[in-house]
Amino acid sequence: MDHLSYLFAAYSIIFVLIGLYVVFVSRRQTRLEREVTRLEGELRRFEQAQTPPEQHRSGI
Amino acid sequence: MLEGFGPIVRKDLRLELRSGESTVALLSLSTLILVVMVLVFGPGGARRAEVAAGALWLALIFAGTMGSTRALVAERETGCIRALLLSPVEPGTIYAAKLSVAMIFMAEAGAGVLLILVLFFNLEFGRALLSLIPVFLLGILGLAALCTLLATVSGRVRGGAMLLPVLVVPLFIPALIAGSKASAAVLSGQPLGSVITWIKLLCAFDVLFVAAGYLLFEHVILED
Amino acid sequence: MKGAVSIALAAASCLSMIAALFMVFVYAPTEAEQGIVQRIFYFHLPCAWVAFLSFGIVAVAGALYLWLGHRIWDDLSYAAAELGMLFCTLVLVTGSIWAKPIWGTWWTWDSRLTTTFILWLLYGGYLLLRAFGEDNQEIARYAAVLGIIGVLDVPVIIISVRLWRTIHPAVLLTRQGEHGLQDPRMVAALLVSLGAFTLVFVWLLWLRLSTLRLRARIGGLRKELALLEVAGAGARR
Repeated sequence: MDHLSYLFAAYSIIFVLIGLYVVFVSRRQTRLEREVTRLEGELRRFEQAQTPPEQHRSGI
Repeated sequence: MLEGFGPIVRKDLRLELRSGESTVALLSLSTLILVVMVLVFGPGGARRAEVAAGALWLALIFAGTMGSTRALVAERETGCIRALLLSPVEPGTIYAAKLSVAMIFMAEAGAGVLLILVLFFNLEFGRALLSLIPVFLLGILGLAALCTLLATVSGRVRGGAMLLPVLVVPLFIPALIAGSKASAAVLSGQPLGSVITWIKLLCAFDVLFVAAGYLLFEHVILED
Repeated sequence: MKGAVSIALAAASCLSMIAALFMVFVYAPTEAEQGIVQRIFYFHLPCAWVAFLSFGIVAVAGALYLWLGHRIWDDLSYAAAELGMLFCTLVLVTGSIWAKPIWGTWWTWDSRLTTTFILWLLYGGYLLLRAFGEDNQEIARYAAVLGIIGVLDVPVIIISVRLWRTIHPAVLLTRQGEHGLQDPRMVAALLVSLGAFTLVFVWLLWLRLSTLRLRARIGGLRKELALLEVAGAGARR
């Protein structure tokens, strides 16, 4: 290997590793965002399911 | 300030006197490590003192981390930690007591290891061995300080017992370098005065981590 | 708002990185003794700077967490530890690539290399703890303590490793050229890449921190949902 390939290797490793890290973090971010919307939806459905009996009770 | 120190130490020592579990576990593990070292490097040779010093510290590190995990697992199983936390004893005092107990166990196991070391490596009983004692005690104080502080990981994390050496050994490296270098020099017949730099380093390490352990112990011992 | 900050940071990091690359490869002259390989140094040192910076953040944020008890400090120290590990790896790898043509070996137990490697091991342990442990306060407190004593250990490690190397037969090859930035253009290139790496670090920290904030949010939502379910079951009974 001549010196130029060492230089090339060093710089590409830096960019590849940082790039991989960014990809890894943003994939995790989208997964977590999806999870948050799912949980929020579930929570809302739960709350809607809870309210009718209460109205019923107050109606009596 | 140190109220409750005596009872905790006495209780742990009495338990150990009854069962002898830690002593047996520590001694058998460290003996095995010594045997492996002798088999790999051979008992004689020009670098005998260095290999013996290396074997001593290797045995201590692994026996020490394993020993402190064991002691803590037993504490949790019997609910003793929770009882201690409910008592008015300060966390720092609990730390000091646990540190002393760990120190006593390691010193005891270390005495056994030293005896085996002399036999296996054909060393002389004499001045060299005597000057090894302060180096050795300073080293295990640092190790016990780290292990006592960090041992609670074993109950909190899956595979925590495996994780403890991974956390402790890198932190212990400065003391390991100082201890093994000083031991090798002393075992090869040099006076204690020639390794004073290493001894100072060991003292600094011990002071630092005993103080850190005393102050930080309450944060690792609290349960949710 | 959050998205805008993230995009602005990303853009700033990319632009400054391009500027740094220009400075390193076009503006700065080639070093006389080591030739073109010396240019690795302009990115190697900033990586080391960022690695040390993030380890400092791990300890300070850990201490703040123990003191104030707010979750954001725990998230910050976790994010910083991960980035510290990333840049510490980059330091070791680029250092090795530079050492091979200059020293003729990938690795020597030189004092600085050894110290960096021990730091890498320390934070490897920290991240293993985070990976094996669950997301709860016990682990957070434990990690904070570990981060603090890790940083306390650093000066002792540096001293001991230096003594260890000087007492041992010294390596024949010493680091040359590191302080030999004779040309002001080299210094300028180094400063620009230091700035660029700091920006990249802030950007990555921001990214990682926002995923950790989401994780905290999910934990909160799950707890709320579980409570509602228990309450619902009780009401039905």
